[in-house]
Amino acid sequence: MDHKNEYIPKLAEILQIKEEVGGDRAIKTFRMKFIDGNNFSHLCGQCAMLSVFGKGEAMISISSSPDVKDYLQFSILKMGRVTTALHSLSPGDVIGIRGPYGNGFPIEAWKNKNLIFIGGGIGLAPIWSVLQTTLGREKDYGKFTLFYGARSSRDIVFKEELEEIKDKIPVHLSIDVEEPDWKEFVGFVPTNLMEKKPSPNNAIAITCGPPIMIKFVIKNLQDLGFKDEQIYTTVENKMKCGIGKCGRCNIGLHYVCQDGPVYSWAELKELPQEY
Amino acid sequence: MEKILQKKSLPKWIEKCASYHIYAPVKKDALWHYNIIDKPADVQLDHPNTVISPKKLIFPLREVFFEYQTDDEDKIEIKEKTPKDAPSVVFGIRPCDARALTLTDKVFQGDFADPYYLKRREMTTLVGLTCNTPPGHNCFCLSVDGSPNSKEGFDILMTDMDDRYHVQFLNKKGQKLMEKAKDLFKTPTEKDRKAAENIWKEAEKKIERQIKNIKTIPQKLKGMFESPLWDQESLHCIRCGICTYLCPTCHCFDINDEVLSSSPSKGKRVRTWDTCQFPDFTMHSSGHNPRGDSASRLRQRIMHKFQYFVTKYKNYQCTGCGRCITKCPVGIDIIDVLEKVRDYGS
Amino acid sequence: MVNLEELKKDAKRILQDKKVKYVIGYRRGVDGYEAIPAFFKAPEECDDLVWDPTCIHNLVRFLRDEKVRKDREKEPDKRPVAIIAKGCDTRAINVLLQEQYISREDVFILGISCEETGVIDGKKLRKKIQGKKIKQIDFNGKDGFSVITEEGKTEVAAKDVMAQRCIECISNYPIDHDIFFGEKKKREPENPFDSLDSLQSMPNEKRWAFWKEHLEKCIRCYACRSVCPMCYCDECVVDTISFAVFADTPAEEKANKIKWLEKSPVSSENFVYHLVRAMHLAGRCIDCGECERVCPVDIPLRHLNKFLEKKAKELFDYQAGFDPEAPALISSFKEEDPEDFIR
Repeated sequence: MDHKNEYIPKLAEILQIKEEVGGDRAIKTFRMKFIDGNNFSHLCGQCAMLSVFGKGEAMISISSSPDVKDYLQFSILKMGRVTTALHSLSPGDVIGIRGPYGNGFPIEAWKNKNLIFIGGGIGLAPIWSVLQTTLGREKDYGKFTLFYGARSSRDIVFKEELEEIKDKIPVHLSIDVEEPDWKEFVGFVPTNLMEKKPSPNNAIAITCGPPIMIKFVIKNLQDLGFKDEQIYTTVENKMKCGIGKCGRCNIGLHYVCQDGPVYSWAELKELPQEY
Repeated sequence: MEKILQKKSLPKWIEKCASYHIYAPVKKDALWHYNIIDKPADVQLDHPNTVISPKKLIFPLREVFFEYQTDDEDKIEIKEKTPKDAPSVVFGIRPCDARALTLTDKVFQGDFADPYYLKRREMTTLVGLTCNTPPGHNCFCLSVDGSPNSKEGFDILMTDMDDRYHVQFLNKKGQKLMEKAKDLFKTPTEKDRKAAENIWKEAEKKIERQIKNIKTIPQKLKGMFESPLWDQESLHCIRCGICTYLCPTCHCFDINDEVLSSSPSKGKRVRTWDTCQFPDFTMHSSGHNPRGDSASRLRQRIMHKFQYFVTKYKNYQCTGCGRCITKCPVGIDIIDVLEKVRDYGS
Repeated sequence: MVNLEELKKDAKRILQDKKVKYVIGYRRGVDGYEAIPAFFKAPEECDDLVWDPTCIHNLVRFLRDEKVRKDREKEPDKRPVAIIAKGCDTRAINVLLQEQYISREDVFILGISCEETGVIDGKKLRKKIQGKKIKQIDFNGKDGFSVITEEGKTEVAAKDVMAQRCIECISNYPIDHDIFFGEKKKREPENPFDSLDSLQSMPNEKRWAFWKEHLEKCIRCYACRSVCPMCYCDECVVDTISFAVFADTPAEEKANKIKWLEKSPVSSENFVYHLVRAMHLAGRCIDCGECERVCPVDIPLRHLNKFLEKKAKELFDYQAGFDPEAPALISSFKEEDPEDFIR
């Protein structure tokens, strides 16, 4: 009996690399395409395992929309062995990709609702796909709002894309500490959220960012009247196989690589709080 | 199908199975290990349980997934390394270890079936030996829905009856082996059958250790995530990997790329056993470690085996082989911990 | 003779007087073959304290956990921790003091003499009395142990069941103590390097084959490293992921960390792991024998360390753990040190 070997990555070529943030907490956005031309179709929120042969693999959220067929987009923060290797690559280089893995945001169930996106730092990337997709089908949804904050103006990702989006939907930016030319909110994202007080009526909140930010965003959303089923997030965990076998991302009954990474707070609070 | 095989005919049967690779427990110094057998006479079925379960023959300690090579033009070539066709037979497996394989089967099958594990599983015929006496001094298979005579997971199950074996051929795979040496096998007489049944009955009585009321434990565990019991019981854990590496039901693994510095343009992606008991198992690149202390890791081991797995697969992820108890350097006894869980708060 | 009741009384007293945070000692094992390390926090818990020939563990290992716990606290409780220590164990404490890993005020040593015997190798005992359940086991003078099983009392000769490291022991009573139990009766081993002699008499090819066969069995469970009191490095050479990683550790540092060996439990990597670990213990290992006792696949690990122990004695007249004030072997240089290898 022949089984498809899910551990073998497919080769993909890097089309374009854009430096979003330089220096210490470097972030680069990669656009890739499979060498044999057969892209997979994915759901918003799903991730893929990127392979740098000789270094290892890393599970990264696909930040391009499934409606985009020409490439897959990943925004990667330089953190360890594999991500540093990815950052040293150039367009034309070949890596491996396998996936897509995990579950997606239930965007069908959100039709006609108001969508509030809350991102922090690199956390904008995992929710960028769902933001782009729903915005691309804006007639199906209610009002859009985006809250996004970073440590400093330098650490903001998707700077050009955010400029474009500002014309379409309200974008509430923030940075942690004052800067001379910064005219928008200064402070943490959860605080900015409480300032602007988005309404929970017929709304879904989607958040991603550093664990501590997610914790306070969820608390503040609850204070604003959002029910647990209205709050969505995507969880990060150390992963190796990506297919629910190696045990590394196991939390309670779930493997985050398969049953996650997308969770509503109603679901996530039922899991053991060890992530 | 039941048959009788004279003990002196065992080497002849094995000889007839020469087209298979034969594995059996072999004694080296004071320890028993599953090893490949060159001479049929070397198969001795009078062993206590091996240190490392036969899981290592289906799910090896090290498995190469693929080899890759980069040429001068930076083109990458991947060569898959699925197990070669090598039909094998493993003799002398204890019921707890075979039952454990049916549990690891559930993990490696399903969505994204694991071709490496499954290929070996399909190629391997499992021949068991019932435990007329407990092969270890910490056996507790009866408490976890197992038995010293359990057929689960086997293709063939043998029972030692002094001068002969009672042999059960449980499926087509097992029957293929019988057909290799049909004349060696006789139909059991009524006396044979009664003798075997008696051995099986007596075998169950000999299992000393047990966990009473184990059925209450999964539900009890649900409310014990924050319990101080985990801290208490893990104080003297030294964070080695013995309990989980020797466990026949454990399946955690690591994947790493291996490159020789003398040949940097090629390498291998390799799977190795890993354990949730190592401190760095859940550590993120950022240094954040969700299970950074012994207590949370002991809790994970117990919860995974006796609550999460039970909810998901309706089986305890434990077959009572007792290896973790026997080999723990500091005497952490899983039966003791489970009893404390069961009685907690009462 | 060590008086267990006195030991319990003193343990209770120091807990009652709040002189120590807790007592690290032993309690009875499940089937009586090996005691279990235990932490006694309340005086009444000390009723479960045992001292018998099954108390083989080196409890100094747990001083490491105590230090890690203290380092994490903002205002740690500065009281010492009491520890039951045999002769070999006190040498381990001395090495930790010598390396300034802990200070003398951190430990309250309940030193126990093994008097004229040592402790028992559980595997040897199990074979000797065919695995019968042990009700009680006691020291019985110079040459024996009395074992009470369900079948009655039996005497077992020390030489049949004593741990090999005890047979070669050069420190059968505590070097240092806060309270001393038993008598300071020195036991001279017949041959302190007995284990080594048979190996060293082998020709090189046979010795290589011996080690290759044993190290191939290694499954890299790291029990040997985990149980060793001297393996306290936060960042061990074998880990591909360093423990010493923080939120602000630069990515390049993590990316460039040298991988000394692969995780694969194959011959080449196993050799590197064990030989490097032995080298890192040269001049530090006090031969408590724990590494060999805990190995699930019976690798004769003591031999590796014993060889270096012999070298330390021959080349530098140095024995680890006897003097906490003395400079450590690897980090000091004396004028009379051999120089014949310098060309």
